[in-house]
Amino acid sequence: MKDPTINLRDLLFVVADPNSYLCMIVHSMLRSFGANKVIEVRDSLGVVKALTGQKIDILLCDAKLPPHGGLKLTHAIRRNINNENRTVPILIMTGDTRATTIKTARDVGANMVAAKPMSPSSLYDRLAWIAFNPRQFIDTATYFGPDRRFKIEGYPSGVGRRKGDQEIVVGEDAGPALSQSEIDNLLNMARTGQD
Amino acid sequence: MSDAAEQDARAFFVDSRFEQLARRPGGVPREEALERARAMIEEIRPSFGEWLDGELKELSRVVEQNGPHGSNDPDWVNNAYTQCLRIRDVGTTMGYDLVTFVAGNLSEIFDAINSGTDYRADLIDCHIQALLLARQEQYRNLRPEQLPELSSGLRRVAEYAPRSNGHAARTENGSFHES
Repeated sequence: MKDPTINLRDLLFVVADPNSYLCMIVHSMLRSFGANKVIEVRDSLGVVKALTGQKIDILLCDAKLPPHGGLKLTHAIRRNINNENRTVPILIMTGDTRATTIKTARDVGANMVAAKPMSPSSLYDRLAWIAFNPRQFIDTATYFGPDRRFKIEGYPSGVGRRKGDQEIVVGEDAGPALSQSEIDNLLNMARTGQD
Repeated sequence: MSDAAEQDARAFFVDSRFEQLARRPGGVPREEALERARAMIEEIRPSFGEWLDGELKELSRVVEQNGPHGSNDPDWVNNAYTQCLRIRDVGTTMGYDLVTFVAGNLSEIFDAINSGTDYRADLIDCHIQALLLARQEQYRNLRPEQLPELSSGLRRVAEYAPRSNGHAARTENGSFHES
Protein backbone atom coordinates (compact mmCIF):
# COMPACT_ATOMS: atom_id res chain seq x y z
CA MET A 1 0.00 0.00 0.00
CA LYS A 2 1.39 3.39 -0.91
CA ASP A 3 1.40 6.11 1.73
CA PRO A 4 -1.25 4.62 4.00
CA THR A 5 -3.00 7.01 6.35
CA ILE A 6 -3.11 6.05 10.00
CA ASN A 7 -5.71 7.20 12.47
CA LEU A 8 -4.12 7.55 15.91
CA ARG A 9 -7.04 9.23 17.67
CA ASP A 10 -7.96 7.62 21.01
CA LEU A 11 -5.03 5.22 20.93
CA LEU A 12 -3.01 5.21 24.14
CA PHE A 13 0.71 5.70 23.48
CA VAL A 14 3.43 5.23 26.07
CA VAL A 15 6.72 6.92 25.18
CA ALA A 16 9.55 5.66 27.40
CA ASP A 17 12.85 7.49 27.16
CA PRO A 18 15.17 8.85 29.86
CA ASN A 19 15.76 11.95 27.76
CA SER A 20 12.93 14.35 28.53
CA TYR A 21 13.72 16.53 25.53
CA LEU A 22 13.60 13.62 23.10
CA CYS A 23 10.40 12.43 24.75
CA MET A 24 8.91 15.85 24.14
CA ILE A 25 9.92 15.73 20.48
CA VAL A 26 8.40 12.27 19.96
CA HIS A 27 5.30 13.34 21.88
CA SER A 28 4.95 16.39 19.64
CA MET A 29 5.33 14.29 16.51
CA LEU A 30 2.62 11.91 17.68
CA ARG A 31 0.29 14.83 18.40
CA SER A 32 0.99 16.11 14.91
CA PHE A 33 -0.01 12.73 13.54
CA GLY A 34 -3.35 12.94 15.33
CA ALA A 35 -2.63 11.13 18.60
CA ASN A 36 -4.44 12.60 21.58
CA LYS A 37 -3.43 10.21 24.36
CA VAL A 38 0.31 10.08 25.04
CA ILE A 39 1.97 9.18 28.33
CA GLU A 40 5.67 9.96 28.83
CA VAL A 41 7.77 7.92 31.23
CA ARG A 42 11.47 8.04 32.02
CA ASP A 43 12.29 4.52 33.18
CA SER A 44 11.12 0.92 33.35
CA LEU A 45 9.23 1.52 36.57
CA GLY A 46 7.24 4.20 34.78
CA VAL A 47 6.40 1.70 32.03
CA VAL A 48 5.34 -0.92 34.56
CA LYS A 49 3.09 1.64 36.28
CA ALA A 50 1.60 2.63 32.93
CA LEU A 51 0.95 -1.01 32.09
CA THR A 52 -0.73 -1.70 35.41
CA GLY A 53 -4.46 -1.42 35.47
CA GLN A 54 -4.92 -0.16 31.95
CA LYS A 55 -4.52 -1.44 28.44
CA ILE A 56 -2.07 0.58 26.46
CA ASP A 57 -2.14 0.44 22.68
CA ILE A 58 1.53 0.83 21.77
CA LEU A 59 4.84 1.25 23.58
CA LEU A 60 7.67 3.32 22.13
CA CYS A 61 10.67 2.40 24.21
CA ASP A 62 14.31 3.49 24.28
CA ALA A 63 16.72 0.56 23.99
CA LYS A 64 18.74 1.92 26.92
CA LEU A 65 15.83 2.75 29.18
CA PRO A 66 17.07 2.76 32.79
CA PRO A 67 17.74 0.80 34.80
CA HIS A 68 18.09 -2.42 32.78
CA GLY A 69 17.41 -1.32 29.22
CA GLY A 70 14.36 -1.38 26.98
CA LEU A 71 15.28 -4.74 25.47
CA LYS A 72 15.14 -6.51 28.82
CA LEU A 73 11.90 -4.73 29.55
CA THR A 74 10.45 -5.91 26.24
CA HIS A 75 11.52 -9.45 27.04
CA ALA A 76 9.89 -9.21 30.48
CA ILE A 77 6.63 -7.90 29.01
CA ARG A 78 6.50 -10.69 26.43
CA ARG A 79 7.38 -13.47 28.87
CA ASN A 80 4.91 -12.50 31.60
CA ILE A 81 1.87 -14.68 30.98
CA ASN A 82 -0.19 -12.65 33.47
CA ASN A 83 0.41 -9.38 31.69
CA GLU A 84 -2.65 -8.23 29.78
CA ASN A 85 -0.38 -6.03 27.66
CA ARG A 86 1.74 -9.00 26.65
CA THR A 87 0.94 -8.64 22.96
CA VAL A 88 1.10 -4.85 22.82
CA PRO A 89 3.02 -3.55 19.81
CA ILE A 90 6.49 -2.42 20.90
CA LEU A 91 8.67 -0.09 18.87
CA ILE A 92 12.26 0.13 20.09
CA MET A 93 14.05 3.45 19.59
CA THR A 94 17.82 3.23 19.56
CA GLY A 95 20.89 5.28 18.79
CA ASP A 96 22.95 2.10 18.89
CA THR A 97 22.26 0.59 15.50
CA ARG A 98 24.81 -2.20 15.49
CA ALA A 99 23.52 -5.45 14.06
CA THR A 100 23.74 -7.21 17.40
CA THR A 101 21.41 -4.67 19.04
CA ILE A 102 18.86 -4.93 16.24
CA LYS A 103 18.91 -8.73 16.32
CA THR A 104 18.49 -8.70 20.09
CA ALA A 105 15.53 -6.33 19.77
CA ARG A 106 13.92 -8.70 17.31
CA ASP A 107 14.64 -11.74 19.44
CA VAL A 108 13.11 -10.28 22.60
CA GLY A 109 9.87 -9.65 20.71
CA ALA A 110 9.97 -6.07 19.49
CA ASN A 111 7.68 -5.36 16.55
CA MET A 112 9.91 -2.71 15.05
CA VAL A 113 13.15 -0.85 15.59
CA ALA A 114 13.53 2.83 14.76
CA ALA A 115 16.98 4.36 14.56
CA LYS A 116 17.57 7.58 16.42
CA PRO A 117 17.52 10.34 15.41
CA MET A 118 13.94 9.78 14.37
CA SER A 119 12.51 11.99 11.73
CA PRO A 120 8.75 12.55 11.47
CA SER A 121 8.62 10.40 8.33
CA SER A 122 10.59 7.59 9.96
CA LEU A 123 8.17 7.47 12.89
CA TYR A 124 5.00 7.80 10.81
CA ASP A 125 6.08 5.08 8.39
CA ARG A 126 6.94 2.62 11.13
CA LEU A 127 3.62 3.14 12.88
CA ALA A 128 1.89 2.62 9.54
CA TRP A 129 3.91 -0.52 8.97
CA ILE A 130 2.82 -1.99 12.28
CA ALA A 131 -0.83 -1.06 11.61
CA PHE A 132 -1.03 -2.39 8.07
CA ASN A 133 1.21 -5.43 8.33
CA PRO A 134 -0.29 -7.52 11.14
CA ARG A 135 1.84 -10.50 12.10
CA GLN A 136 0.89 -13.61 13.94
CA PHE A 137 2.35 -14.17 17.37
CA ILE A 138 4.62 -17.09 18.10
CA ASP A 139 4.65 -18.79 21.50
CA THR A 140 7.43 -21.26 22.24
CA ALA A 141 9.49 -22.19 25.26
CA THR A 142 12.13 -19.68 24.30
CA TYR A 143 10.31 -16.98 22.41
CA PHE A 144 7.09 -15.04 22.65
CA GLY A 145 6.47 -12.26 20.18
CA PRO A 146 5.62 -11.33 16.63
CA ASP A 147 6.59 -13.92 14.04
CA ARG A 148 10.17 -13.16 13.06
CA ARG A 149 9.61 -14.83 9.71
CA PHE A 150 6.75 -12.63 8.60
CA LYS A 151 6.06 -12.18 4.96
CA ILE A 152 6.57 -8.71 3.62
CA GLU A 153 3.55 -7.59 1.66
CA GLY A 154 4.96 -4.17 0.98
CA TYR A 155 6.78 -1.43 2.75
CA PRO A 156 5.35 1.93 3.60
CA SER A 157 6.91 4.77 1.72
CA GLY A 158 10.32 5.76 3.00
CA VAL A 159 11.21 2.14 3.67
CA GLY A 160 12.09 1.25 0.15
CA ARG A 161 12.81 -2.36 -0.55
CA ARG A 162 15.91 -2.69 -2.65
CA LYS A 163 16.95 -5.29 -5.11
CA GLY A 164 19.90 -6.38 -2.98
CA ASP A 165 17.95 -6.77 0.28
CA GLN A 166 18.23 -10.55 0.30
CA GLU A 167 22.00 -10.52 0.02
CA ILE A 168 22.96 -8.69 3.18
CA VAL A 169 25.05 -10.83 5.49
CA VAL A 170 24.33 -10.58 9.19
CA GLY A 171 27.37 -9.17 10.94
CA GLU A 172 29.35 -10.43 13.88
CA ASP A 173 28.25 -9.75 17.42
CA ALA A 174 29.48 -6.19 17.19
CA GLY A 175 29.83 -4.13 14.12
CA PRO A 176 29.26 -0.86 12.41
CA ALA A 177 26.11 1.15 12.79
CA LEU A 178 23.30 0.27 10.41
CA SER A 179 21.07 2.60 8.50
CA GLN A 180 17.32 2.51 9.08
CA SER A 181 16.71 0.53 5.90
CA GLU A 182 19.38 -1.98 6.91
CA ILE A 183 17.69 -2.30 10.28
CA ASP A 184 14.38 -2.99 8.57
CA ASN A 185 16.07 -5.61 6.42
CA LEU A 186 17.71 -7.30 9.36
CA LEU A 187 14.39 -7.54 11.16
CA ASN A 188 13.04 -9.45 8.20
CA MET A 189 15.95 -11.67 7.35
CA ALA A 190 14.80 -14.75 9.20
CA ARG A 191 12.08 -15.40 6.70
CA THR A 192 14.67 -16.06 4.02
CA GLY A 193 16.68 -18.37 6.22
CA GLN A 194 19.65 -16.05 6.38
CA ASP A 195 19.57 -15.66 10.14
CA MET B 1 15.49 -20.23 17.08
CA SER B 2 15.74 -22.97 14.49
CA ASP B 3 13.12 -23.36 11.79
CA ALA B 4 12.10 -26.70 13.29
CA ALA B 5 11.55 -25.21 16.71
CA GLU B 6 9.57 -22.31 15.35
CA GLN B 7 7.45 -24.70 13.27
CA ASP B 8 6.48 -26.50 16.51
CA ALA B 9 5.43 -23.23 18.02
CA ARG B 10 1.89 -22.15 18.80
CA ALA B 11 0.99 -19.43 16.36
CA PHE B 12 -2.00 -17.14 16.66
CA PHE B 13 -3.18 -13.84 15.32
CA VAL B 14 -3.64 -10.84 17.56
CA ASP B 15 -5.62 -8.10 15.92
CA SER B 16 -4.49 -5.50 18.41
CA ARG B 17 -6.47 -2.40 19.22
CA PHE B 18 -3.63 -0.39 17.73
CA GLU B 19 -3.94 -2.18 14.41
CA GLN B 20 -7.73 -1.99 14.41
CA LEU B 21 -8.00 1.69 15.29
CA ALA B 22 -5.00 2.89 13.32
CA ARG B 23 -6.57 1.48 10.15
CA ARG B 24 -9.80 3.41 10.65
CA PRO B 25 -10.57 6.00 8.03
CA GLY B 26 -10.29 9.63 9.06
CA GLY B 27 -6.64 9.81 10.10
CA VAL B 28 -4.19 12.56 9.25
CA PRO B 29 -2.79 11.91 5.76
CA ARG B 30 0.95 11.27 5.73
CA GLU B 31 2.06 14.47 4.03
CA GLU B 32 -0.14 16.64 6.21
CA ALA B 33 1.05 14.79 9.34
CA LEU B 34 4.69 15.30 8.40
CA GLU B 35 4.13 18.97 7.63
CA ARG B 36 2.47 19.46 11.01
CA ALA B 37 5.30 17.60 12.76
CA ARG B 38 7.92 19.77 11.10
CA ALA B 39 6.03 22.89 12.18
CA MET B 40 5.86 21.52 15.72
CA ILE B 41 9.62 20.94 15.75
CA GLU B 42 10.13 24.55 14.65
CA GLU B 43 8.10 25.63 17.68
CA ILE B 44 10.31 23.57 19.98
CA ARG B 45 13.57 24.70 18.38
CA PRO B 46 14.13 27.84 20.53
CA SER B 47 14.39 25.68 23.66
CA PHE B 48 17.18 23.58 22.18
CA GLY B 49 19.97 25.93 23.33
CA GLU B 50 18.88 25.74 26.94
CA TRP B 51 18.65 21.95 26.79
CA LEU B 52 22.05 21.71 25.11
CA ASP B 53 23.63 23.96 27.76
CA GLY B 54 22.43 21.58 30.46
CA GLU B 55 23.75 18.54 28.61
CA LEU B 56 27.16 20.12 27.97
CA LYS B 57 27.48 21.23 31.56
CA GLU B 58 26.74 17.71 32.72
CA LEU B 59 29.10 16.14 30.18
CA SER B 60 31.91 18.52 31.19
CA ARG B 61 31.33 17.74 34.85
CA VAL B 62 31.35 13.98 34.28
CA VAL B 63 34.54 14.11 32.22
CA GLU B 64 36.29 16.43 34.65
CA GLN B 65 35.30 14.30 37.61
CA ASN B 66 36.11 10.90 36.12
CA GLY B 67 38.51 11.29 33.24
CA PRO B 68 41.90 12.58 34.28
CA HIS B 69 42.31 10.92 37.65
CA GLY B 70 40.37 7.72 37.37
CA SER B 71 36.92 6.93 38.57
CA ASN B 72 35.05 4.73 40.95
CA ASP B 73 32.21 4.59 38.46
CA PRO B 74 32.88 1.77 35.99
CA ASP B 75 30.01 2.95 33.79
CA TRP B 76 31.02 6.53 33.33
CA VAL B 77 32.50 6.10 29.84
CA ASN B 78 29.39 4.30 28.68
CA ASN B 79 27.23 7.01 30.22
CA ALA B 80 29.27 9.71 28.50
CA TYR B 81 28.92 7.78 25.24
CA THR B 82 25.15 7.63 25.67
CA GLN B 83 25.01 11.32 26.48
CA CYS B 84 26.93 12.16 23.30
CA LEU B 85 24.49 10.03 21.28
CA ARG B 86 21.64 11.91 22.91
CA ILE B 87 23.13 15.27 21.92
CA ARG B 88 23.79 13.96 18.42
CA ASP B 89 20.26 12.61 18.04
CA VAL B 90 18.44 15.68 19.26
CA GLY B 91 20.84 17.92 17.33
CA THR B 92 19.99 16.06 14.14
CA THR B 93 16.26 16.24 14.68
CA MET B 94 16.50 19.96 15.44
CA GLY B 95 18.73 20.57 12.41
CA TYR B 96 21.94 21.64 14.17
CA ASP B 97 24.48 19.98 11.94
CA LEU B 98 27.65 21.21 13.61
CA VAL B 99 26.53 20.11 17.07
CA THR B 100 25.51 16.76 15.58
CA PHE B 101 28.86 16.34 13.89
CA VAL B 102 30.97 17.10 16.97
CA ALA B 103 28.80 15.04 19.31
CA GLY B 104 28.88 12.12 16.86
CA ASN B 105 32.67 12.33 16.69
CA LEU B 106 32.96 12.41 20.46
CA SER B 107 30.60 9.44 20.82
CA GLU B 108 32.91 7.43 18.54
CA ILE B 109 35.85 8.29 20.77
CA PHE B 110 34.00 7.18 23.91
CA ASP B 111 32.87 4.04 22.11
CA ALA B 112 36.49 3.27 21.23
CA ILE B 113 37.57 3.87 24.83
CA ASN B 114 34.83 1.50 25.92
CA SER B 115 36.38 -1.09 23.62
CA GLY B 116 39.81 -0.69 25.18
CA THR B 117 41.43 2.19 23.36
CA ASP B 118 43.62 4.55 25.40
CA TYR B 119 41.92 7.41 27.18
CA ARG B 120 43.23 10.68 25.80
CA ALA B 121 42.14 13.70 27.80
CA ASP B 122 43.25 16.11 25.08
CA LEU B 123 40.95 14.49 22.50
CA ILE B 124 37.98 14.67 24.82
CA ASP B 125 38.72 18.24 25.85
CA CYS B 126 39.04 19.54 22.32
CA HIS B 127 35.69 18.01 21.43
CA ILE B 128 34.00 19.49 24.45
CA GLN B 129 35.47 22.87 23.54
CA ALA B 130 34.19 22.39 19.99
CA LEU B 131 30.73 21.58 21.33
CA LEU B 132 30.77 24.74 23.45
CA LEU B 133 31.72 26.67 20.34
CA ALA B 134 29.10 24.96 18.20
CA ARG B 135 26.30 25.83 20.63
CA GLN B 136 26.99 29.57 20.27
CA GLU B 137 24.50 31.56 18.27
CA GLN B 138 26.90 32.46 15.46
CA TYR B 139 28.00 28.84 14.90
CA ARG B 140 24.84 26.93 15.73
CA ASN B 141 23.34 27.08 12.26
CA LEU B 142 26.55 26.29 10.40
CA ARG B 143 27.32 22.98 8.76
CA PRO B 144 30.67 21.20 9.29
CA GLU B 145 31.73 21.94 5.73
CA GLN B 146 31.40 25.66 6.47
CA LEU B 147 34.13 25.29 9.08
CA PRO B 148 36.57 23.06 7.20
CA GLU B 149 39.55 23.56 9.53
CA LEU B 150 37.59 22.68 12.62
CA SER B 151 35.76 19.73 11.11
CA SER B 152 38.76 18.19 9.37
CA GLY B 153 40.81 18.63 12.54
CA LEU B 154 38.18 16.87 14.64
CA ARG B 155 37.85 14.12 12.04
CA ARG B 156 41.58 13.47 12.21
CA VAL B 157 41.46 13.44 15.98
CA ALA B 158 38.55 11.00 16.02
CA GLU B 159 40.35 8.71 13.61
CA TYR B 160 43.07 8.35 16.22
CA ALA B 161 40.81 6.43 18.55
CA PRO B 162 40.06 3.30 16.48
CA ARG B 163 43.69 3.11 15.34
CA SER B 164 45.06 2.96 18.85
CA ASN B 165 46.20 -0.53 19.82
CA GLY B 166 44.39 -0.18 23.13
CA HIS B 167 46.78 -2.06 25.37
CA ALA B 168 46.76 0.75 27.89
CA ALA B 169 43.18 0.25 28.76
CA ARG B 170 41.26 0.67 31.93
CA THR B 171 42.81 -0.23 35.25
CA GLU B 172 40.94 -2.13 37.91
CA ASN B 173 39.64 1.00 39.60
CA GLY B 174 38.14 2.28 36.37
CA SER B 175 40.84 4.84 35.63
CA PHE B 176 42.84 5.05 32.43
CA HIS B 177 46.47 5.29 31.58
CA GLU B 178 47.01 8.35 29.47
CA SER B 179 49.37 8.06 26.58
